[in-house]
Amino acid sequence: MKKGLLTVLVALSALFAVFGLSKNTASASEPNYTITSDATYAPFDFQDKNNQYIGIDQDLLKAIAKAAGFTVTVKPMAFNAAMQSVASSQADGVIAGTTITNDRKAVYDFSDPYYKTGIAWATAKNSKIKSLSDLKGKTVALKTGTAGAEYAESIKNQYGFKITYFSDSDTVYRDVINGNSVATFADMPVLQYTIKNGTALKVQNPKDPFAAGDLGFAVKKGQNAELLADFNKGLAIIKKNGTYDKIINKYLDAKAETFTGSAKDNSTVWGILKTNRSAFWSGLKQTMYLTVVGIILASLWGLLLGVMGVSTHLWVRSLSTTVIYIFRGMPMLVLAFFLYIGIPALTGTKISAWSAGILTLVLNEGAYTGAFVRGGFESVDAGQMEAARSLGMSHSRAMRKVIIPQGLRLMVPSFINQFIITLKDTSLLSAIGILELTQTGTLIVTRNSQGFRVWAIVAMIYLVVITLLTWFSNWVEKRMNA
Amino acid sequence: MSEEKKVKVHVDKVNKSYGDNHVLRDISLDVMDNEVVVMIGPSGSGKSTFLRMLNLLEKPDSGVIDVDGHDILDPKTNINKVRENIGMVFQNFNLFNNYTVLENITLAPVQLGKMTKAEAEEKAKELLETVGLPDKANVSVNSLSGGQKQRVAIARALAMNPDIMLFDEPTSALDPEMVGDVLEVMKRLAKTGMTMVIVTHEMGFAKQVANRVVFFESGKIQESGTPEQIFTAPKNERLQTFLSKVMHA
Repeated sequence: MKKGLLTVLVALSALFAVFGLSKNTASASEPNYTITSDATYAPFDFQDKNNQYIGIDQDLLKAIAKAAGFTVTVKPMAFNAAMQSVASSQADGVIAGTTITNDRKAVYDFSDPYYKTGIAWATAKNSKIKSLSDLKGKTVALKTGTAGAEYAESIKNQYGFKITYFSDSDTVYRDVINGNSVATFADMPVLQYTIKNGTALKVQNPKDPFAAGDLGFAVKKGQNAELLADFNKGLAIIKKNGTYDKIINKYLDAKAETFTGSAKDNSTVWGILKTNRSAFWSGLKQTMYLTVVGIILASLWGLLLGVMGVSTHLWVRSLSTTVIYIFRGMPMLVLAFFLYIGIPALTGTKISAWSAGILTLVLNEGAYTGAFVRGGFESVDAGQMEAARSLGMSHSRAMRKVIIPQGLRLMVPSFINQFIITLKDTSLLSAIGILELTQTGTLIVTRNSQGFRVWAIVAMIYLVVITLLTWFSNWVEKRMNA
Repeated sequence: MSEEKKVKVHVDKVNKSYGDNHVLRDISLDVMDNEVVVMIGPSGSGKSTFLRMLNLLEKPDSGVIDVDGHDILDPKTNINKVRENIGMVFQNFNLFNNYTVLENITLAPVQLGKMTKAEAEEKAKELLETVGLPDKANVSVNSLSGGQKQRVAIARALAMNPDIMLFDEPTSALDPEMVGDVLEVMKRLAKTGMTMVIVTHEMGFAKQVANRVVFFESGKIQESGTPEQIFTAPKNERLQTFLSKVMHA
């Protein structure tokens, strides 16, 4: 039994070593800023076929930083998370195709406008809907937190439509194409780019965008004034020297294939897998890394909670029950947002997405583990404790020598089950911008609009890994029972 | 004074209730050194609860319990130390499922610093010899029959060198053909002069081994005396009814 546990630990630490963390390096001479950005907002922000983040925002930011003499570490994530990270001082600035609005000005300070835009609305290519009044009683799909969504909300009552929200653009488009909703509102260039890229949508107002507005780079209100000034300075320089126009034309005039790879590579599962293998591989590594670290720490935490749950002291038992109650009752996604965005806003201390992600896994999975660990100890026959006590052993010695070893053996199937759940739950952490397998899938779909094939590949990878994990766990179980 | 010294267990007016169920009512009983006391009575009469109080597996609501001169109800008494001298054998054996036969026997003496591992193993092998299972030292406890398990459980209790042994219906969970072996071991133990308190339904065994038989009914000791007094000349009416049922069953 001891040998079995040791084998598990050795194997896990070996996995640990394989998936080492990569570290950011920054030059010391120029100021380095952490800039968040949308990961799925072509043509402003997206990944090219080589899995590099590109787009109007990305190229402008690089050119501006170079011109103004600062360096940036870009962290692409979901739009809302990108904005919130800056509002909660997790990052210094955000460039994510953000429209300058009065509401946002209350929270952020904006740079000079870097791009003029407006809201377009689009329907499925063959839709019968021709005017906004046709939307009455129908559902409109929107991307959370965007200016398009804000505009749609403002005319919702006037035209009598319902709204459904998604956190990435491709899902919004899919929803409209599949007919669950009938239209979407988004920034004009974004819709035009995705349509050029083969998405079967039609812009209904190509000539006259609504609520024409400006895109701006944002910092938290009253902070990073220097970064904002540098950005404006750099923007002026690249506008003057022609770099700005070059970047805009590169994205709006070029064929989509330039960025997304050939149609052939994108239309078969094999082609997609081959083109994106390094992206899938690094996404899988991050998923495995989160899973392994999450499993180890959550199991330790769960064991502690479980042992506390059968303590002879009432207050220790109550503490365990309360912790389990709170974290088992809280949706994991809420917990992840709370830790990543809420805690820094409250305390002023930064927490990396990765740490917040691991903490989320530990608290959530650990609570479930704690519950079944306590149950496992309680299901050991009461006579075992009585026999140990009657021989003169103390309660804690009886627990250590008799109850815990037997309880652990009963818990092995529950542990295996929890490991598999943990692996799957890591996908939720894509919401706070961790680039694991699911987020990788989202990024690839944003680029090539091949949702069905990409998600089929991602699902297969999860299944393969879960199968391997199950085999490994069963092997460990056998060793323990031997 | 020399009479007093011989009292191993002194119980005075203990009471125990579970909610409205008053299972023990003002029970007093002394057990002398080297004495074998057998407790009989119908199910639910309180005899097992009483036995489990002697090593504090059950806590009385009121009363006095002295074992070897220790007031075990005093919170200052280290009950673990007192229990080292009181062996207990359970109806359902309660062998530790995560250990082999030998480890079951050596666990407590080694853990509690009574013996080195080598000493404990030697002692365990002697005890297995005594209970007639010399070749079972290294097998898993799950491979044993009920009778074998109970004999290992007796060996486990004896490994601590106790001077009192408590038996809680040790043969009730056994197939009939296994009962004899276990009773035989207990008889031999009684002959060595061990102080024993036994709850059982084996009347023949009680007759043969007991120095004193105590009849429990409705949470009270209705009658106690030598086996002859109890089995051949019972005075208490309820005892007579009980005996007529069990003897002709």
